[in-house]
Amino acid sequence: MIRAETIIGVLPVGAVPELVLKIIASNIDVHLNLPSEILPFFAPPPAVFDKGRQQYDAGKMLQAFSALELERFKKVVAVCTVDLFVPILTHVHGEAQQGGKFAIVSLFRLDKNPIRAKPTSALYERAVKVTLHEIGHLFNLFHCEDKSCLMHFSSTLDQLDATPIYFCRYCNKYFQMAALR
Amino acid sequence: MRDKMHIMIVDDEMIIRESFSHWFQKYGHFVETAGSGSEALEKLEKIAFDVLFVDIKMPGMSGIELLEKIKGEYPDTIVVIITAFGTIETAVEAMKLGAADYLLKPFKPQQLTLIMEKLTQQKKLTSEYNYLKGRLDRITRFDNIIGQSPAMEKIFELISEIAASDASVLITGETGTGKELVAKAIHARSKRNHSPFIAINCGALPDTLLESELFGHQKGAFTGATHARKGFLEVVSGGTLFLDEIGEISSKMQVDLLRVLDEKKITRMGSSHVIEVDFRLISATCRNLNEMIKNDSFREDFFYRINVITLDLPPLRERKEDISLLARHFLQKYSHETNKHVDHINRDALSLLTNYDWPGNIRELQNAVERAVVLAKSRALEPDNFSFLHTIYAPPSKRVSLQEKEREYIRKILVESDWNVTKAARVLNINRVTLHKKIKRFDLKRNKR
Repeated sequence: MIRAETIIGVLPVGAVPELVLKIIASNIDVHLNLPSEILPFFAPPPAVFDKGRQQYDAGKMLQAFSALELERFKKVVAVCTVDLFVPILTHVHGEAQQGGKFAIVSLFRLDKNPIRAKPTSALYERAVKVTLHEIGHLFNLFHCEDKSCLMHFSSTLDQLDATPIYFCRYCNKYFQMAALR
Repeated sequence: MRDKMHIMIVDDEMIIRESFSHWFQKYGHFVETAGSGSEALEKLEKIAFDVLFVDIKMPGMSGIELLEKIKGEYPDTIVVIITAFGTIETAVEAMKLGAADYLLKPFKPQQLTLIMEKLTQQKKLTSEYNYLKGRLDRITRFDNIIGQSPAMEKIFELISEIAASDASVLITGETGTGKELVAKAIHARSKRNHSPFIAINCGALPDTLLESELFGHQKGAFTGATHARKGFLEVVSGGTLFLDEIGEISSKMQVDLLRVLDEKKITRMGSSHVIEVDFRLISATCRNLNEMIKNDSFREDFFYRINVITLDLPPLRERKEDISLLARHFLQKYSHETNKHVDHINRDALSLLTNYDWPGNIRELQNAVERAVVLAKSRALEPDNFSFLHTIYAPPSKRVSLQEKEREYIRKILVESDWNVTKAARVLNINRVTLHKKIKRFDLKRNKR
């Protein structure tokens, strides 16, 4: 049984649809069995925007969260609608501090349907999957080789759609132990 | 379970190094970074990395230069070139020099995922290839004997020549020179190779036990003989019997074996039933049998019977060319057995090994490399890993038999006692008659003044 005080903060960065935040928060409760709370929105500092790439630096964004007073929360997952990148990659759907406190999820590319037509409602499912995956990293779970595990890395939306919303038995066991600590 | 890899990121930009590190850490890979080519080479000396991601444009040593050095020193290490200034020419050049792939940053997440899948596959193939190559080496090497020196080339030729005959062979050489391996090689190349090869260390068995082992016994032949048992001379039928440390067997056993060699017949202990035997005898010793014959401790007739062909194995100090080859062979063996990433012996350490005299020969070298691998803290063995060799090193002294020592000591006491036999006998704590017998046996004479 996971302790009730293991609270996950859901932090909107900029204007994020309230429905998405509520869906994410409730899925954290249901799938991870962890209480969550939606926080007041956070305005990102201008320094996190890269003018050359016209994108937001995910690493810098995570650093900016350290300035917030969020001691009450064991882990914080931010949600934004802007396009995120890390220096070596063209874009990322999410980024997390491995074993750390902060993670961020971008909805920017999640409502695109590049190959197979999917209803826009797929956005919610994808947002939940990316969020839970990044929370897994916050509890120090690594990418999993098992394609039917939420911790398997999905580099495309097609792969993300094919990924289930739950951990494999090994990652689940590890997550339960890590969340209890 | 995914294979975790040792990855090094070589880039002069810290932000790129960090970005790569974070990415690979999410897969649980072990990640190290280096800001320059020289730093990367220093780290490669200590740790065996599976993959290096190398930026092509760096101040000082360029990525292409680093790639060349890595492929020269560590050909199994996979290198992926990364750059923000990609051109077809540099990509082609990098691939020609052995780069596994080429990435133009920033790249899509799926490109990095694909490349990692490809590299994991490549790593598996490389280790499989190395394993199979090792097995092939073992098959093609001269029956597990390693050596490229002229002395060993001569031994290899001799082995091939004498294997065809059925004559008895005496292998001489210092301890640890590989006498049993040579015996096995002769057997393996002989027409008897489908029959057993049995090796017995004569020095390790008391006389009665050796007799029972060789000739076998009937039930009740002696106390404890609860059932009949075949001796090795029977079991080896059609094959090769290798008697190591033949100089240690008693005169009685020499007579018994001489008879067997002449008649090719034996009787088990406690039995009168004659059994015909057929085997080839290969003996070995590190002692000087000629000296032993002079001292009456080895039978001359037996010596000539076992010594139809002599093979004298050179000590390791007389074939220094083979030391690095042998050291590398043992390094490979023990790094595999201990599952440690130790795959190098640096130049200074090799020079130390080559200059050492190896009184214990190949066996000592084998033990030294095993010890060094077990205690090694980096991928390369350095002189420090062999520091124990200095402490035990002593210049090789002339090896003399116990009889020679005894003769020399008695002569010394006689000289000190001014050849007064009574006085000398008292010092030696033996009676005068015994001392007189020894003076006669050792042919000791007073020097004329």
